[in-house]
Amino acid sequence: MSQEYRKRVDLFPYFLLSPALIITLLVIFYPIIRTFTYSFMQYILWKPTEIKFIGLGNYLKILEDPVFWISVQNTFIWIVGVISLQLLLGFGTALLLNQKFFWRGIARSLVLIPWVTPSVITALMWRWMYDGNRGVINDLLVRAGILSSYFPWLANDKTALYAIILALMWQGFPFFAIMILAGLQAIPDTLYEAAEVDGASMVQKFTRITLPMLVPVLFTSLMLRIIWVANSLDIIYIMTGGGPGYATHTLPVYSYIRAYKGMDFGYASTIAVILTLLITLFVSIYVRKVLRTEDRGAV
Amino acid sequence: MRKRKKTHRFLQRVFTLHIPLLLILGFALAPYVWTFITSLTPEDDLYLSEFRYFPAHPTGTNYQRLFSRIDYGRNIQDSLIVAVCTMLLGLCITVPASYSFSRYRFIGRTVLLAQFLVINMFPVVLLLVPLFILMRVLGLMDTYLSLIIAYSTFTIPFSTWMLTGFFNAIPKELDEAAQIDGCNRFTTLLRVVLPVALPGISATGIYIFITAWNEFIYAAILTGSNIRTIPIALQNMIGEFKIAWGLLTAGGVVSAVPVIVLFFFIQRQLIHGMTAGAVKG
Amino acid sequence: MKRWMMVLFFGLVLPALIFSGGAKEQKAEVKSVRFWYHFDNPETSVKPLIEKFERENPGVKIQAEMVAWDAYFQKLMTSIAGGNPPDVSQIKLWWQPQLVEMKALTPLDDYIAKWPGRTDVFEKIWELTRHTDGKQYLMPLQMVILYLYYRADMFKELGLKVPSTRDEFLDVAKKLTRDTNGDGQIDVYGFGIRGGRGGHDFWATFVLSSGAEIITKEGKSGLTTPEAIAANQWYIDLFRVHKVSPPTTPTDGFNEIIANMKSGKTAMTIHHLGSAKGLVDVLGDRISAAPVPRGTKGAWTSFGDEENGVLAASKVKDEAFKWCAFLATAENNALWQKSSGQISINKSNGQTKEAQENRFMKASVESTPFAGVLPAHPKVAEFVESVWPATMQRAFLGQITSEQMMKIFEEHFFGKK
Repeated sequence: MSQEYRKRVDLFPYFLLSPALIITLLVIFYPIIRTFTYSFMQYILWKPTEIKFIGLGNYLKILEDPVFWISVQNTFIWIVGVISLQLLLGFGTALLLNQKFFWRGIARSLVLIPWVTPSVITALMWRWMYDGNRGVINDLLVRAGILSSYFPWLANDKTALYAIILALMWQGFPFFAIMILAGLQAIPDTLYEAAEVDGASMVQKFTRITLPMLVPVLFTSLMLRIIWVANSLDIIYIMTGGGPGYATHTLPVYSYIRAYKGMDFGYASTIAVILTLLITLFVSIYVRKVLRTEDRGAV
Repeated sequence: MRKRKKTHRFLQRVFTLHIPLLLILGFALAPYVWTFITSLTPEDDLYLSEFRYFPAHPTGTNYQRLFSRIDYGRNIQDSLIVAVCTMLLGLCITVPASYSFSRYRFIGRTVLLAQFLVINMFPVVLLLVPLFILMRVLGLMDTYLSLIIAYSTFTIPFSTWMLTGFFNAIPKELDEAAQIDGCNRFTTLLRVVLPVALPGISATGIYIFITAWNEFIYAAILTGSNIRTIPIALQNMIGEFKIAWGLLTAGGVVSAVPVIVLFFFIQRQLIHGMTAGAVKG
Repeated sequence: MKRWMMVLFFGLVLPALIFSGGAKEQKAEVKSVRFWYHFDNPETSVKPLIEKFERENPGVKIQAEMVAWDAYFQKLMTSIAGGNPPDVSQIKLWWQPQLVEMKALTPLDDYIAKWPGRTDVFEKIWELTRHTDGKQYLMPLQMVILYLYYRADMFKELGLKVPSTRDEFLDVAKKLTRDTNGDGQIDVYGFGIRGGRGGHDFWATFVLSSGAEIITKEGKSGLTTPEAIAANQWYIDLFRVHKVSPPTTPTDGFNEIIANMKSGKTAMTIHHLGSAKGLVDVLGDRISAAPVPRGTKGAWTSFGDEENGVLAASKVKDEAFKWCAFLATAENNALWQKSSGQISINKSNGQTKEAQENRFMKASVESTPFAGVLPAHPKVAEFVESVWPATMQRAFLGQITSEQMMKIFEEHFFGKK
């Protein structure tokens, strides 16, 4: 079918996607280009007379910046930690929610709660629960005999990042649950029925039907989530402000601090551009795979 | 014999379904329940030296103050308008776009698809100043439309990709069969593909809705006294030297309710839509 | 069909709602002043003050907007860079150098010279808020003076005297740090240090009073002298060596230090009048206050401030100043402080009298003579917001020494050598 259209230039697909293109290009293209050019400039907001083009100056400076390298490392731990935890829990939840049982309507709604809770609340509540003096997590662990005394989870540079990763897993796993659930719903029952006739086991049904059918949805949701998590800022910033020290500095946090605490938009934009490049590298493997799967044609 | 098999199956379901799901829900709800308990605790009791799991004198005054003194109802209304409009606008724009990406092979397709990803990789906080200027020039500062447009910029690319994934999962034979049956390209999309894609569309809609519902930083910069969404109202409870814990936690608890109720009905529609749609590939 | 009615609703009614939000009805002759402020208590409203002002000044309307504290400076800077700032904004002293550098503020000297209320504002405030270029850009709004809170009952129990010097302070803090129930764990810490953002006030109280100076009179760094490094070491040791502050210290913010006082986890901390009511509600007579202890070179406490500034981009500067002046007038300022819980800037509001009855007010007033501010340097804002917290936390965690810490500060203000 697609080959038939390829013969002449078909405007129909362009027509379908023009609204999306127009609105994104119109609104976001200009800001992105602006910010991109800042990365080649000395641009400190409170020094409007000293704004000038400095070529790769910011990029060279950044290579020698130890905080930048700490942030790169933390960003990596952050992405891998958050994404794998969210995906595992989200996938499991989706499989459970896809079954038929009497309270699944309620279960499907309630599982969304972490996701719909505003980030401010999520961050402050987790901080409150982790509190080293009155936190409920410490109290539970001491009661259970796992800890002998309260532990300052967020004030310790070894645990702070992981403590926040757990909070973000909580906030984000419903996303995977809902997306994967929707993917599961779209798998025709007939496929399973046919497999059952052929005498396939539960595991076989999962690996031969469920997983392959889910691939497009899994890949896209994974990739989108990586981008989202790599850019997420509010929870970390509210919970620790990037501290203690630089223990929870990720690239977006560092970029934000340089931009709005230091008002150094040139340097902050440089960090942002590098972050974008890193994510592009990170997801390009996925993108290529997705595009290839598509070209084979779905199923 | 048969009965025993039935109880056996039921027990199996308890261990493989009900208990794991309850554990997951427990994890999902615990912080929320803790927020709720905090919202019932009189502020001074939060700092008792001994640890309490439930306040000795629970009180509902925080909720009452939330609506009488903060005008939280207005905040919910603003958030609802912004989130619903962003969702509708987003879906209307991205459903055709992703259908096009999924079903047609055209010049520039890969580049266009990739640019949707790349523009999303940029940290939004850095786009604030140019976006502010843009909204000022368009005369949209402090209007619903400014937020709806701003949110669309990061929901549209995500939803386009998400939906393309969902459309790809639908067999192309379905379209072909429809066209043989005499549907044109529009009606194929509307009557045949859309019903099948409904679960994916609903999930994407939920994604857009929740993103818009919780967004803070654009709202903080682009709106003022006319429009105050929930995250703005909540952030105002965190002062320079004081956090209004009672109001904040009450506000947090309330803010989740409309979305949960809404989703409860959407997901019922979702199952209903599924059985109605023909998925006989 | 129902579905089409839904479409109609979303297609027609909603857009109408959306656009109605942006419509502004303004008569040409009414001058509107946009005012940004922040309050710690979300329930308080400036409405009564606005109504009073509008009654007294027909033809001027105040469009007030409460901006969340955490986003305040960011929003202000964005709006200035984006060309649409408010007419009047509440401004912190440490923002002033940057705002002046950007030419974003209007000098108010001419207005103030003609304003009869100026003599009723404490001279000390005019002195502290005047910019280094000799101009007055800010109209005083409220003052906040930091002092020492202490648990009177614990002091009595252990027979301790309220410390007036640094050494006495350390001695008392060590004695107060103890295991009260015999389980081998420390239950009460002597001093709650604010190690997170905003804790520079604590640091400055002990370090700037004992030989360190951020910028000397000659415009040089006074941060890396042996004396300054020793003073900083003394402060780090409170946590690392003497352990008189809880293990959570590196990230504790105001919320934590006050909560720790309320729950009896700490016996002393530094804060201001804003938390007095909350502490008394929980602790009653067991909480009391005194000026902060002296360092080796004298006393220093933080003058926390709030001012109003008229933005240079404003088209209604006369009216904007009127509103600033209105808020700085005794009667109205007293009303404002009722909401903020802080101290009025006006002599005639009679706080010296109140100080005789109120121990917290007394500690504030007694601290006024040595209340100071960080130097008026454009880099102070970043120092306070990010450089100080990250560096202090690293020192508390033992990642850097006192000397390295002070070198980082020096580099921040004076550049790499």
